[in-house]
Amino acid sequence: MDKLAKLITDIGKLWENYSGAYFTGIENTLILAVAATLAGCLIGLLCGVLNTIPYTQNDHPAKRFFLKLLRALIRIYVEVFRGTPMVLQAVFIFYGLPYFTDGAIAFKGMAGIWTAALLVVSINTGAYMAESVRGGIISIDPGQTEGAKAIGMTHVQTMVNVIMPQALRNIIPQIGNNFIINIKDTSVMFVIGFVEFFATHRNIVGVNLLYFPSAVIEMVGYLTLTLLASFGLRWLERKLDGDDNYELVSEDSLAMSAGTYSHPNRNSPFDEQSKEFRNHKKGGR
Amino acid sequence: MEKNIIEVRHLSKSFGSHEVLKDIDFSVDKGDVISIIGASGSGKSTLLRCVNLLETPSSGEILYHGKNVAGKGVNAPEYRSHVGMVFQSFNLFNNMTVLENCMVGQIKVLKKSKEEAREAALYYLQKVGMAPYINARPRQISGGQKQRVAIARALAMDPEVLLFDEPTSALDPEMVGEVLQVMQQLAQEGMTMLVVTHEMAFARDVSSRVVYMNQGVICEQGTPEEIFGNPQKQETKDFLARFRNS
Repeated sequence: MDKLAKLITDIGKLWENYSGAYFTGIENTLILAVAATLAGCLIGLLCGVLNTIPYTQNDHPAKRFFLKLLRALIRIYVEVFRGTPMVLQAVFIFYGLPYFTDGAIAFKGMAGIWTAALLVVSINTGAYMAESVRGGIISIDPGQTEGAKAIGMTHVQTMVNVIMPQALRNIIPQIGNNFIINIKDTSVMFVIGFVEFFATHRNIVGVNLLYFPSAVIEMVGYLTLTLLASFGLRWLERKLDGDDNYELVSEDSLAMSAGTYSHPNRNSPFDEQSKEFRNHKKGGR
Repeated sequence: MEKNIIEVRHLSKSFGSHEVLKDIDFSVDKGDVISIIGASGSGKSTLLRCVNLLETPSSGEILYHGKNVAGKGVNAPEYRSHVGMVFQSFNLFNNMTVLENCMVGQIKVLKKSKEEAREAALYYLQKVGMAPYINARPRQISGGQKQRVAIARALAMDPEVLLFDEPTSALDPEMVGEVLQVMQQLAQEGMTMLVVTHEMAFARDVSSRVVYMNQGVICEQGTPEEIFGNPQKQETKDFLARFRNS
């Protein structure tokens, strides 16, 4: 019991002195995670569209070669960035690029750190999203593509108007996954000096050694963020699914065509609203 | 009447080593209503899909107003916008309402304004009796209704030829009538139609020409009276006999 009481007082102390720092950390984490997830989605969508450009034997050999090359490049991108740790990618981009280009590309100051962090997390998310988008596109009935082609849509028109809206709806859970992973995994950006929520914790405990109380704050903070993200995404899904009901435009003269009918026997024993019917149902049970 | 809007010459199509279409020749004049009949697997649908370039022919030519569209460097989307297609499985866009389904092609492909597109879409939806359902989504309407919307969507593009790929095969029996009725009306109005169908009554009563396909070749073709009344080939007789008995 003593230990619990001490923990609570320590947390109180930390909060009193450092709540501002914690909030700045949360803010940085959120901005980075949201921006990088959005950018990653865009990269993923782009890869998805480029990856599925169809070609036939009738196309020019140069076009076929170019499309095959494009698919190979996207494949390499996905495999490399999905298959290596983000913390190492950060090191290679933040320290490696300036070194190998003799400073032609350099990330200087706070703006540099932000740019590098955004770049790394976006590219990393993009690699995962490219695969998710591919899955989303595969999951759509090929008939949808044929329907779009049959009215003369080009590949890009088909993708933008028909396939992507449906694929995107199907991969929202996956986007949610990536967003939540990004909220937590942006913590590895400490290697390039990016101060987000977890780096804040490292800085604070470095001064006062209240390691465990600060970790409790971190736990609660991260869980709150991810729960909020979960609820938000669920809400978005429901909103995208739309209403199950629709209005008949009944002033139309052809409204009495197949599918619409009014109950033929109002007030008869078989009308669900009649007393007889309700009694009958009650009696039946 | 304009001759040879579409002319198919020596068309062949293989899937791997399996030759589905063998050296097909036929032509479509303006106002023709051609029914393509034949057993399952005889290549009817493949032929129709080749005409719309949804399948790439292995060899041969498809001439649209005398220009080969099956060759290299052809703008397939442009060609398809003149040739409407109605599918067995409807293929309505699930992310759009009935009205949007009929508008999107006009706006994106024909570059019409929203108002123009809406007007045309409403006109054709009214024609197929689906105007009350403009706000419904495809998942909320029945198969027959979906198919009528699909026909309106194709019509809204103002196509020169309309292709039907077994439009009633996926429907419950009581919904077949409403779709055939719409098609019959179109035929009477002079629409040029190419219909792959198992509805022998439709082929007999509505079409101006019947094509019987068997094992990847056109076995026999002629007027409905010739094919149904006095078939020349033994295969045609056997095929029709099977339908009469069932």
